[in-house]
Amino acid sequence: MSDATDKRPRRRTLLLIVTGMVLGFIVVYAANAGIVYTSTDVFCDKFCHVHPHATASWIKSTHYTTKSGVVTHCIECHLPAGGIEYYTEKARLGAQDVWGVLTKDPKKIDWEAKGSLEEAGTFTYESSCVRCHSILFSAKLTKKGSDAHLYYQRMKDKVRCINCHLSVGHYHEKKPEEYLETKDDVFDPKNFPTAAEGFTNYTEVLPGSDVKFEMVALPGGTFTMGSPDSEEYRKPDEGPQRQVQLSQFWIGRTEVRWKEWEVFYAQRGSPGKNDPSYSEESTTTGPTPPYGSPDQGWGRGARPAITMTHHSATVYCQWLSSVTGKKYRLPTEAEWEYACRSKTETPYFFPGDPADFTLDSFWNRVFGAKKLPLSQFAAYAGGGSARTQTPSFVKPNPFNLINTIGNVREFCLDWYEPQAYAKYPSTSAVLNPRGPESGEEHVVRGGSFKSDAIYLRSAARDRTQTERWLMTDPQSPKSVWWYSDCNDVGFRVVREYEPPR
Amino acid sequence: MNELDVTRRNFMGAAAVAGAGVLLAGCSSKKTVEPTKFLDAAPDGPVLKAGLVGCGGRGTGAVQNFLKAGPNLQIVALADVFQDQLDKCRRRLEGRPEAKITDETCFVGFDAYKKLIDSGVDIVILATPPHFRPLHFEAAVEAKKHVFMEKPVAVDPVGARQIMASGEKAKAYNLSVVAGTQRRHQRQYIETYNHIKNGAIGEIVAARAYWCQGQLWYRERQKEWSDMEAMLRDWVNWTWLSGDHIVEQHVHNVDVCNWFIGAYPVKASGFGGRMRRVTGDQYDFFSVDYTYENGVHTASYCRQIDGCWNSVSEYVVNRGFHQL
Repeated sequence: MSDATDKRPRRRTLLLIVTGMVLGFIVVYAANAGIVYTSTDVFCDKFCHVHPHATASWIKSTHYTTKSGVVTHCIECHLPAGGIEYYTEKARLGAQDVWGVLTKDPKKIDWEAKGSLEEAGTFTYESSCVRCHSILFSAKLTKKGSDAHLYYQRMKDKVRCINCHLSVGHYHEKKPEEYLETKDDVFDPKNFPTAAEGFTNYTEVLPGSDVKFEMVALPGGTFTMGSPDSEEYRKPDEGPQRQVQLSQFWIGRTEVRWKEWEVFYAQRGSPGKNDPSYSEESTTTGPTPPYGSPDQGWGRGARPAITMTHHSATVYCQWLSSVTGKKYRLPTEAEWEYACRSKTETPYFFPGDPADFTLDSFWNRVFGAKKLPLSQFAAYAGGGSARTQTPSFVKPNPFNLINTIGNVREFCLDWYEPQAYAKYPSTSAVLNPRGPESGEEHVVRGGSFKSDAIYLRSAARDRTQTERWLMTDPQSPKSVWWYSDCNDVGFRVVREYEPPR
Repeated sequence: MNELDVTRRNFMGAAAVAGAGVLLAGCSSKKTVEPTKFLDAAPDGPVLKAGLVGCGGRGTGAVQNFLKAGPNLQIVALADVFQDQLDKCRRRLEGRPEAKITDETCFVGFDAYKKLIDSGVDIVILATPPHFRPLHFEAAVEAKKHVFMEKPVAVDPVGARQIMASGEKAKAYNLSVVAGTQRRHQRQYIETYNHIKNGAIGEIVAARAYWCQGQLWYRERQKEWSDMEAMLRDWVNWTWLSGDHIVEQHVHNVDVCNWFIGAYPVKASGFGGRMRRVTGDQYDFFSVDYTYENGVHTASYCRQIDGCWNSVSEYVVNRGFHQL
């Protein structure tokens, strides 16, 4: 008896251990099989991600159709290369995907925005790129590539592989890279600058082309610049409010479009920094050829010109003045706000509350934000636009100007200074202010196709960020003509009124 | 590379590709530095054939240094822009058993370097005026040759970037590359560096670098010479060819300061002038204050004028100082 009672617990223990081991093995095996299975391309494609176009564009990409026949699978880019991070990221993205599949309508997801650099960066891993691409200086690397990779080595924490190689995993339908071409023969004596008599709206014809753009005559007046303390989403730099008096001026009805920019580029584009004739000091030197497609592959024509620097835009205005004989320049910040407000003093130039439109609130993100009438007046982030739009996409403001608050942010003439308004008199109206005398960055106004509704408010201020907007540019010195990392800023021109003598 | 596992081919460069030179060799390890193993000669092995590009005094000297470095080393080919320079070098090497130069392996002209690289050599020694170095180094690396190149490795930023990119390619091909910043390979410097990194004098707060010497050589222009020939034969006096005094000579001392401080300067302010130089367009003295991100400064002085106080040296300073 004593023997039996002794042995039973021992047997039980043994049985428990064996069962435990078997169970453990099954669990580990199942978990592993689960992880492996949920990491297959088929699983990614069929069960979770409802985006057949992602599979189609991947198959067309250089990571599928390779010379050697080696296929790079979904998770090889979209999960980290290894380590504990692989599992934590798999859990994070997996949870996100499950939530997405259960709660979202794939047709309503903005897939194009998901392919933008900002979003792609949250589910594409640097460690995965360099796991396979361990040699940055391959035998066939070009001179341009060498320079870019040397720069990357220095800037590893700030510049990622996909900054330059965004479309290698998923093919982007893009026209073959057409560079803006420099032509010498665009001058056509048939076209003359439009006569500028009196103070009325007029259509400007760019000399030497059939490209026209509309200029709107704005009467002078006094308005309140900035937003009141009570305005929701207001930032401190939007005040204190000041009375500003402006003389009459003309302003472009639309942002400067690619077709206008192309005439400028054709006449003033310079062959490149290495050309002996190139000089940044010379007043007849214009932009160098851009690095890649400045239009982001979205097309040019009537879309606003983008990615040019503030300096480029300034030179454009100088060129425009010289070929038309009129005084064109960038708008001052006061002129810009006056034109945008169109005599209104509310957050927008139409009745509406930013709190209803913003996606910067949990409530709106879950239950949906209001779109109308904002989306009628502006291309912005919540309005279903992941790229720049042509002017016909929206309705004008009361001054008949298109897309002041949306589409692209716009350069102003002034230097940016958070406390700029405080320096204007508080008791009387300041006449035609031009901002601080010097500064580091320039004012940028209005929102863009990337901006949330709160940044589309008439008083919202912003500024250029030269260092950040040139982060990926591998050249030394960096371009003064094109931003490498900013694709949502453009500009419109104003013309000063000179009374007849 | 494991220092104990020195094979014949990688002996060429204990500092190997980092030696794409002064520009690439950054050493800023915080860990305790282990004593460095030195070899007194290259290990034996199959014959290594070298070709020399640039047959002037330094090139000829570099070949003699190379042949002395170990057994079974040969010089088999020469290249220079000028026939007379090549002949002079060939005569000086004549009679040495390691010199296997034939008429077929002597190349003259601006493209001589290409022919030499394709002539079956294992190692290319680059010793032309520095202006040409980036071009020659790139060609040697493309042909997957090991390289010894004289300093400086470039005279301008474009050339420097070309050297860096070729250096990275050489690394990918596992080639040995050494630059002529010899202080980086001298026992005395390396041992001192290790001591200082291990805390012998505490943190470095400043450094001084000198290359003050008498007048440098120059060649008066001969009537029959073209502009190009006159400049090439007088290259140490022309900025586009030499990079000027700081880059061409003083780089040794500034490089040592950067190496010991463990960083590159973020700012340089200085002055210089020209008093006694006979030919060319270079200055003959400079004084530069280099500032590093952490507030450390290197004071640098260099001069090539006769009859003054001379010194070629470097000092790193803690509270006291240590002459290197």
